Formats: sequence, C-alpha cells, structure tokens
Amino acid sequence: MKILATYNIKGGVGKTASAVNLAHVAASRGNRVLLWDLDPQGAATFYFRVKPKVKGGGEALLSGRRELADVIKGSDYDNLDIVPADFSYRHLDLMLDDAKKPLALLRKVLSGVADEYDYVFLDCAPSISLTSESVFRAADALLVPVIPTTLSIRTFDQLDAFVAENPDIVRKLKIMGFFSMADSRKRLHRELMEELREQRPELLPSQVPMDTDIERMGVHRQPVTAMFPKSRPARAYQSLWDDIVERL
Amino acid sequence: MSELHRFVVDGIIDPAVTLAAFAEKVGLSENEAEEFDRRFFDTPDGRLHADQSTLEVRNSVEFPLMCSLVWLKGGQVLASTRVESGFSPDFADSLPSGPAFDRLRELVEMRRLLPVATVRSRISSGGHLDSEEKTTARVHIDLPSLPDGQPLPALIEVRAVRGYEAETAGLLRSMRAHEAFEPSDLSTADFAREMVGAGPYLPGKLSLQLDASASADAVWRVVLRELHDAMIANFRGTVDDIDSEYLHDFRVAVRRTRSVLQEGRGVLTPAARDHFRDGFKWLGDITTPTRDADVHLLDYPNMIGALSPEYGEALAPLHELLLSRQRTCQAQLALDLRSVRRAELGAEWAEFLAGEGPWARTTPAGSDAAPDASRSARDVAAERMERAHSRLVRDGRTIDGSSEPEALHDLRKDAKRLRYLLECFGSLFPAEDLAVAVKPLKSLQDVLGEFQDTEVQAHALAQFGRQLDVEGASTDTILAMGGAIEQLSVRQARARREFAARFESFDSREVESAYDSITGVGPTKSKKRKKKNR
Repeated sequence: MKILATYNIKGGVGKTASAVNLAHVAASRGNRVLLWDLDPQGAATFYFRVKPKVKGGGEALLSGRRELADVIKGSDYDNLDIVPADFSYRHLDLMLDDAKKPLALLRKVLSGVADEYDYVFLDCAPSISLTSESVFRAADALLVPVIPTTLSIRTFDQLDAFVAENPDIVRKLKIMGFFSMADSRKRLHRELMEELREQRPELLPSQVPMDTDIERMGVHRQPVTAMFPKSRPARAYQSLWDDIVERL
Repeated sequence: MSELHRFVVDGIIDPAVTLAAFAEKVGLSENEAEEFDRRFFDTPDGRLHADQSTLEVRNSVEFPLMCSLVWLKGGQVLASTRVESGFSPDFADSLPSGPAFDRLRELVEMRRLLPVATVRSRISSGGHLDSEEKTTARVHIDLPSLPDGQPLPALIEVRAVRGYEAETAGLLRSMRAHEAFEPSDLSTADFAREMVGAGPYLPGKLSLQLDASASADAVWRVVLRELHDAMIANFRGTVDDIDSEYLHDFRVAVRRTRSVLQEGRGVLTPAARDHFRDGFKWLGDITTPTRDADVHLLDYPNMIGALSPEYGEALAPLHELLLSRQRTCQAQLALDLRSVRRAELGAEWAEFLAGEGPWARTTPAGSDAAPDASRSARDVAAERMERAHSRLVRDGRTIDGSSEPEALHDLRKDAKRLRYLLECFGSLFPAEDLAVAVKPLKSLQDVLGEFQDTEVQAHALAQFGRQLDVEGASTDTILAMGGAIEQLSVRQARARREFAARFESFDSREVESAYDSITGVGPTKSKKRKKKNR
C-alpha cells in the first residue's frame, strides 16, 4: 500500500481536485484506492456525494476506539472508497497533540487497511501543523500542486525549507511538485513555468490546466475524469498519474 | 466487500414487467438495458463460483465486434478490458496485465480457465440512491436465455456499497416481501450449467462428516469411498493434462488412500490391506515423474524472479527442456493410467468398497484378522492419531542444527501421516481442538516441504545442467543454472533455520492439550509421555 498526500501550505491551488481525480484515475486502472478527506471543509467528500460524518469523529479513529475500516464508504466508482471528512477534523492538531506518538499515529491508523488497498490518497487541509507533520511521516509521497504564480511558488519554497530543516519528520518522503491551474494563455504563467522547470527539474512533466470542466465538478459532484474522460483536464490527470507511478 | 444477495424473478408474469414496476416503486436508478452474448469461464474446481464472482467474455449484440473480458461480482466490475473477438482466457498468464487482473491471477493460481456456460443476456445495471443521489446499493438485473432461446430465470443481484449496509437493508426487506422474488444462491452461469446438465465443480477439500458412533470398519470404508470419488473426479483431467492440479489432487487422493490403508491395521483384513497398499503404491509411483516435472514448471517463474534479468533470459533452454520432459512424462503417465493393470486395480477397488468381490469377503468384522473392525471408529482413529502425534513429537525433538537432512525428510513423512489422519478422520472430533491442532502442523509441514523440495529441485537442476552442457548449451545458461541452484540452497538454508521455531510452536503446551483432547489422552499419560520424550 502506497500513501500519497496532496498537500500545499497554500489553499486554493487544486489539492482536492487533484486528490479526487488522481484517485479516480488510479482506481479506473484497476488499483484498489482509498481517499481520506482530512480537510474539515469536506470538498472531496462532497464531490463523491458522501455525507461528511464519521461516527465518533476524528478522535474515535485516532484513539483506536473505532477502526478505520468501519467508517469507509464505497464511492459510486469501482475500486474507489472514501473516508469522509468530519467537522471534528478541525481539531486534529489537538487530538494528535494528546496522543503518545503523534507523528506515527496516522500511519498506524492506516495500517489497519493495508491489505485492502494499493493506494491511499490523503487530501490535506492547507497549513504546516502537527497534522501535516503526521501526514509527512505517514506518506510515501507528497503531491504538491503549484499554481504558476509568484506567491504559490514562494509557498513551495517554504515547503522545501521545512523538508530540509526536518529530516527526522520527512524521512524517505518523495516530494512530487506539479503545475496546477496552469493557464498557457497567460504570459506570466508560461514564463514562470519555464523558469521554474529549469530551476527544479524534478517537477513532474505533466501539468493540470485551468479549465472550466474542473470547476463543473462541484455541479455534477463527480471527478472530471469520470464526467468527461476525454477532456483536456482528464487527460492531464491521467498523464500526471503515469508520472507519479513512474516516480514511485 | 459486502454480501451479495440474489433473487430470481417468478416467470409467470413477464419478468421484465415485474422488474420495471419494482424499480419504479423503490426508486432504482437504471441504465438502459443492453444485450450481450456471454461466455462464462471458471476453473475446474469452481474458484470463481466459490468467490461469487463471474468471468466472462461478452459481445454486444448490437456491436458484435465490441468484445470485452469482464470479471464481475454482484454488478461491480472488478476488472475489465477490451479483447479480440473470439478470445478465450486459459491459464493465468493469458489474462491481461494490470493490478485488477493480478488479483484474478491470485484467485486462479495454476488452474486452467474453462468455458462453463454460454448465454444471451439483457442486462441493466442500476443503483439505489440516497438523498444526496449517492449510490447505496448496486443492482444488476439480468434477463438471460440459452443460445437456443430457452429462457433462464431472470436474476437480480443486489450488493450494498461499503458503508451503506443499513440503507440497503430496507431495499432487501422489500425484495424479500415481494411475491415475485425468490432468494437464490445461483448465478446466471450456474443456472445455465444446471439447464444443460453440467456436473458439479471438482471438490476442493475433503468434506467428510463422519458418524462418531459408527464402527471403524464402516467409517474406514466411508473415507476410502470419498477418496475413491476424488480419484475418479480427477482421473480424466489427469489423463488429458488439463492442468497440473488434476494430477496433484489425484495424487493426494492416492496418498490419503494409502495412508488410510496403512492406518487400517486391525480394521481391514491383512490380505486385502496388503493387496491394495501394493496397488496404490504402484499407482502413486507412476504419477511421480510427471508431478516432479509439473513442480519444476510451476516453480520456474519463482526461479527466474530470484535471478537478475539477463540470467532469466539465459534460462530459456532450461524452460524448453522442462516443457519437453513434462510432455514425455505425461505421455507415459497417460499410457499407464489407461493400462490393464490400472483398470484392474480400479475395478477391484470399486468392488471392494461396494462390499463385493473376493477382497471384500476377506474382511469379516470382528474376526481375528480384523480385531478393530467392530470397535468405535472414534476410539480407533484416536489411537492412531495419538501414536502419530507422539512419534512426530519424539522424532522432532531429536533434530538440531547438526542433524542430517534425512532426519528432516523422515520427519516430513511423520507429519504427513498425522495430517492425513486429521484430514480424513477429523470430523469425528471437536472442531475447536482440530483448529488448534492443524494450524501449527501445517506451518511445520510448509517448512519441511520447502526444505525437501528445494533439495530435490537442486539435484534435478544439476542433472539438467549436465544434460544441457552435453547438448551444447551456452556458458550463460550453465551459469544461470548455477545461480538458480544457489538460490535453491539459500531457500533450503532458510527453511532449515525456520524449522526450530515452527517445531517449537507445534510442540507447545496449548497444541499438546488439543491433541490430548482429540485423542482422549489424560494428563497422566501426557505427563508420562513428556517425561519419556524430553
């Protein structure tokens, strides 16, 4: 079981859209996939039409009072299951802080379903906190969407700095950055992407375009890769998944 | 995965009309129905049937060139891909690549996929939705018929989506209350097989339910008849070499028969027992070369996997040699199995088991020649198990790091003897004790099996290497074979290291108590045995 977390310190960069669509692509290729919506806003949960409620909340899961397997909900898609968001996740930091080994806890909770899934996606809320540190420790790879804007790139630099300063937390974590919401009609986007690819050759080759089909996910409550599998963004996510698998 | 619920639809009224009315009543979302020609496949022992899944090659009636291989479980597609028209899956390696089909490969293992039924189905899939329009149950509706147009029962399959079992319970209650729906265990493929008179799938494990109050003579015959049935069920597939498991299961039935005959001292008369022991020894022996050849081929992917890729390629001549040997051995086996000697043995054995013929007349229950025949089967089987268990414990305790390999090989035989007793006569004893008794024994057998198999294979490989060398094989091939032999040595050494821990688990107080409970040995006798043996 490989654990992949979509993460960025900054919000609104396409984390949830990436988690939802990549999870769907992975499942449609025959992999058994679990998506855990760790963001209390519950956008990923909403896209899959699942109610944002976990019995006993996050505390029950983290304390071991409730097994992760008991709160999993099947999606409408073959091989793709969801752990819904819960409003109590806004207190995850406090819950982790009370735990004995907070950094190892998320991985321990996930180990209960290790035989059931090939890939787990963690859709994280934006921030650097104890929750995100626990995610860094649990995950095999961090999928970092980056909008080609100066501010967004700055946050990528912040993540880099954190990784460099905290080798004990990140351990063997692979950082996989990729351009998200890229608008090739904008000169600034084009220039920044070109410049950044030179500076950071490790960025994944595929990029996800800014596209209204992605915005329609909220209306149809479906991954774009399921709604419009031949569309430009769907093909981008499929190609991005190929890049990720190659790097794993 | 949630439980699958199947219902057949009463055929008096048009099933399609009944289904449409029900779908509307309970608010099922339904996709437009499509018509398919479907060829179902399963292994000879019905692994997909047991898994409640189906594997089919389906052609759209409207678009005949649209052909797909679909692995389905209660309306959920576990794996699917487009295939060439006329494609038929065969062994696991004929299945498409990808993680979903890898899981099917794990299920199928070394068995061959055979066509089991052909139907034309009108299929619609739908869902039961909640207030968020989220699917809470998948519903699969099938209106099938045989290729000659004969209708099969209309079938509805319902499976709760994970986490929505409570929501689906209401739907299932409505279906159970509906006068036109009848719960069913059978799939469309099962109905089609039934309609054309197909026999049952090959049995997997022995499923004996013995009468604990019966006499040893009666129970021994029940067990031997069951094993005879297993031999007959696997005979044709062994002769025709459909897959390696027919021969494997045939051999297991022969070996169990030999073991039950061996343990039948005092139950069967010496003359009959000796006669058939000789016969089945011969029958077992003639199957050994082919089984060895099968094992080499089955283990070949592991052997390649343990070597670097370039060595793997260099082993191609060995693979050719193994295939050729298997063909030669199999041809000889088919001749032997069709021989007069085998036919006579089969006829005499069937006669004996029916209580007829000269050998049966030599077995009067309660006679001096068979003093245990009229005793309780449970008592006799318990004595035999106690003896086999004590022997295994005694011999196992003498083995240490310096023991000769032969000591481990002999211990493997001891373990097999006990295992066969447990498998054949286990149902005479409490199931909970059996579970505790069998698990560590199986684990011990695995490591003893690995130890011996790797040694036998290494010797065989060395012999094949010499043959290939004489035939002018390349240096790379000979080197690769050396590498493969080295890998087998590593595996054998690992098995040897693991032996002590496995035996310790088997020789634990908890397991001994389970055996004592099965065999009726009281604590006093058990303590004496411990003292004597330790």
